[in-house]
Amino acid sequence: MTESNYDEIMKLLCDRLSDLTNADVLIAPETNLINQLSIDSIKLLNLIMEIEDAFDISIPINALTDVQTVRELADLVHKIKITSS
Amino acid sequence: MSSTIIKLNAPLTQAFDFQPSSELHLTPTPTLNTLVQQLAGFDTLTSALEYAAKGVTGYNFYDAKGNVRSVLPYKTLRQNARTLAQRLSGFDLPRGSRVAIIADTSPEFVELFFACRYAGLVPFAMPVPVNLGSHVIYVQQLRGMLESSQASIALANIDYINFLEEAVIGVASIRWAGTPGKLNELPVNDSELQSNHPDETAYLQFTSGSTRTPRGVVITERALMCNLQGIVRNGLEIKPDDRSASWLPFYHDMGLVGLVLAPMVTQISVDYLATRDFAIRPMQWLRLISRNRCTVAFSQPFGLKLCTLRVRESDLKELDLSCWRAAGIGAEMIRPDTLRNFAEKFSSAGFDANAFLPCYGLAESTLAVTFSKINTGCNSLQVDSKTLIDKKMAARLQADGRKQNEFVNCGRPLPGHIVKIVDEDGHQLSEMMVGSVLVQGDSVMTGYYNNPEETSKALKPGNWLDTGDIGFLFEGDLFITGRRTDVIIVNGRNIRAQDIEELAEQQPEVRSREASAFGINGEDGATTIVLVIECRLTSPTERQSLTTRLQQLVYMAFGVNCVVELVPPHTLPRTSSGKLSRFAARQGYIQRTKLVDQLSFVESGDR
Repeated sequence: MTESNYDEIMKLLCDRLSDLTNADVLIAPETNLINQLSIDSIKLLNLIMEIEDAFDISIPINALTDVQTVRELADLVHKIKITSS
Repeated sequence: MSSTIIKLNAPLTQAFDFQPSSELHLTPTPTLNTLVQQLAGFDTLTSALEYAAKGVTGYNFYDAKGNVRSVLPYKTLRQNARTLAQRLSGFDLPRGSRVAIIADTSPEFVELFFACRYAGLVPFAMPVPVNLGSHVIYVQQLRGMLESSQASIALANIDYINFLEEAVIGVASIRWAGTPGKLNELPVNDSELQSNHPDETAYLQFTSGSTRTPRGVVITERALMCNLQGIVRNGLEIKPDDRSASWLPFYHDMGLVGLVLAPMVTQISVDYLATRDFAIRPMQWLRLISRNRCTVAFSQPFGLKLCTLRVRESDLKELDLSCWRAAGIGAEMIRPDTLRNFAEKFSSAGFDANAFLPCYGLAESTLAVTFSKINTGCNSLQVDSKTLIDKKMAARLQADGRKQNEFVNCGRPLPGHIVKIVDEDGHQLSEMMVGSVLVQGDSVMTGYYNNPEETSKALKPGNWLDTGDIGFLFEGDLFITGRRTDVIIVNGRNIRAQDIEELAEQQPEVRSREASAFGINGEDGATTIVLVIECRLTSPTERQSLTTRLQQLVYMAFGVNCVVELVPPHTLPRTSSGKLSRFAARQGYIQRTKLVDQLSFVESGDR
């Protein structure tokens, strides 16, 4: 169950990120959100809103300071999801 | 997969419904007070709170879904702040010692801020971290402020305490660091709280995220009271039935002075939404205004832009913004189009474009310098672009078809304040001539804390504050044509060019004085940061590595993307004293990249 949740989170993140950014970057867990995807503050806020609504969680802003890759973001969402449900 | 996507695209009604909280039901403080309204005119912040505490109004804090999270009437604030002050007194610190507080939008921050004043201490607000991957740089920024202010005490709530604990390591002045909860465990010292004097410092306001040279603006009680009085009496004409709503961060001057302190000195209620919650769901701010019939709410142009971008037709139907009489706009260059788009979008929800209230100010003058006339909306002047460039003069547009620039009327100085425009040699210019904007009056800071060098750059003889901004006067009203080249504003955030250059110079490949940062405006008005580096590297891999690293560092520190250009040594233009000129560096970049229509007159040299 937990495993499939994680995959679902990763899938959603990758899908949303490829919509938000240039199509020519292949999104993988190790992709760096900052220097490979150039996620600016507006895109980031959009992404957070979509994640929050899709998984019914609240992402504390202080936790994002340790996130740089897609995997780190997925780990964070997963951790919040587990502790909130 | 498809089900997830469908869910994402479906209207998110559930999350936005205003259902009465099933938990503890809190009632926000009322709009109408039981107390006769006094419009500022107090001698200190604490005497203003002593008066406000006699009424029933106060501060209300809302969560991301629009439910009341906590209510802090001025009466309770006074009581809690006094008790906290007596705990702080136990440290036996000299009067005027600095207290650093990480300022999230919470009742705890406001209580601590006032507790400091009751205890004769000087509080200052530090930002919350907002950028991806910013942990290390954020801690450095905090440490820079702690060191520059020589703070004795540092506080953060449970969400941010780990950053603070990292930041205080090795800061010699720190006597105690902890959470408000930990402070509450300290004993109450029963010695009497002493009243403050108008000449004492009320607070510091940091204006830069620099790790090496932070600048803490020193504002006295007198300056604060003077500015607040001007804002509430002359700028806003506050009345007993006013109510405010705000998402502005408490660590910015507009959020703190304009939407925390100004409501308190007029005893009106305020509804707060955390900045993060606004940024993700801007409609929540407008819903608060609509639901609670708020009359006064400020934003940067960027905040209005976010609302315009995110609103849906269904939102418009449920909003009634006809109550909003003062929509203050400030903190960055105002483009008339941003306001027009907002008004167009929200007129069907009852928004009255006459509510727009453009104003101009800066933390170095407490908050406000000029206010346009209330109830007259946004007025602008169209001037001929060629005359503006060739003669540095604003000539009103005579004929259609000529290239023109449109500038917003920011109104007149608050009573007791003078604005003048000067040329590069400091000589006063006549109306319509474009030059540096200088301000004189009681709201002006006494200086940057512990930073005589920066202070002498900003404060000219006769106590004229050089704002660093560029503009002209017309019939006594101020029009800003460009902001200083040392500040780049991206998505509503002020970023000092020097802070970006500093980050670059910390890289082993970059020598000092070989980096120059500035902003370039796109056709849509969006600003891109450009960082030009004089670089000796020849290997493409090394060059790419430097470029990527710089982009990443800038993002982590400031949350924005930037263009990095590596140029051969001696490319960047220098002044006769060997200083880099950002203005010339920008012109050079524009010529290299053939963005000639960007060549600009409106921004003058660096301060």
